[in-house]
Amino acid sequence: MKRTPIIALAVALMVAGPALATDTTRWLNVHVKEQHAGTNVEVHLPLSLVLSVLRSVDVEHFHSGKVDLEIHDADIDWPQLLGAIKDAPDGDFVKVDAEDANVLVSKRGGTLTIDVTEIGEAGDHAIVKVTVPDTIIDALSIDEENRIDLAVLLQSFDSLPDGDLVTVDAEDATVRVWIE
Amino acid sequence: MRERGVSTLGGILLATLAGMVTAALIMDWVVVDVHTPAPDAFHIKVPFPLVVGHVATAFIPDDVMAEAVVPPEVRQHRELVLTAVQSLLETPDATLVKVRADDAHVDIRKQGDDLVVAVEADDASVRCTVPLDGVLDALDDWDWETFDPGMVFDILGAVNHGELVTVEAEDGTRVAVKIW
Repeated sequence: MKRTPIIALAVALMVAGPALATDTTRWLNVHVKEQHAGTNVEVHLPLSLVLSVLRSVDVEHFHSGKVDLEIHDADIDWPQLLGAIKDAPDGDFVKVDAEDANVLVSKRGGTLTIDVTEIGEAGDHAIVKVTVPDTIIDALSIDEENRIDLAVLLQSFDSLPDGDLVTVDAEDATVRVWIE
Repeated sequence: MRERGVSTLGGILLATLAGMVTAALIMDWVVVDVHTPAPDAFHIKVPFPLVVGHVATAFIPDDVMAEAVVPPEVRQHRELVLTAVQSLLETPDATLVKVRADDAHVDIRKQGDDLVVAVEADDASVRCTVPLDGVLDALDDWDWETFDPGMVFDILGAVNHGELVTVEAEDGTRVAVKIW
């Protein structure tokens, strides 16, 4: 029958169509919730938009996606330092237990995490968690003039799996920054 | 013998009338619609062709325009602004910003070639449609040296027919600017 291939093609297109049309836009999301006033702010921007704007910014200490860290007195070998972080095996790198804060910098499965728990005088807590996957560490580039290339860093978000990058959980506000 | 038909003058008048009606139909019109509540309720609708507004800007005295100089720091961000608008145009439809506070709700949504800003406050609600394609064309053509009131009408020309701005106040006053 001549109709069979046509029907088969139509069925294949019906099945494959939605898959092919899957939206590949990556979104950078920021959610801030202020506890006392109940204010809730949600920002949902395509990564491409953020990148385009970032590359066009031309202000003091911030040109073409590069931010001047304004470190003048220290002679830091950034490639060596970043390479050491990247090549370091999994484990706890920094652990600080103090009265007012606990800090833990560790690496698990190539992902660097920074956990800070701040303990306020009234016993209130602020918990900050920063997740730096190895893709971001690879993209982290700081030149000899101590300028960090934010555009390249943000570009690396494109290949990240969906997930949280920064979370802050404090008495007065919660913040979540994530990519999807 | 009397000939039947239309005289030359009649023909000219008819042609002029037909031309005016056609022009009126194909031209974009701006309609400003104002309702106020009782006891001094009134309703006024002011329609005018967009082209009239554009022509009217030509009568603004030169000395007024000479003073309307754009600060150099604004000019410096030309590329940033153009890039941001272009990137927004390429952004898929989505709610980009959502703010929920006790006294106001704000939503900024990308919808087709428009950016729709909706503000719901305790005392008023405002909804505004910004035609991104019109804004981009107008900003691209603009010299970024003096304010150009004609630019507003260039942007309005890019608006899809419908409500451009609506303001509804708590007391029942409603102002709408429509493109028709």
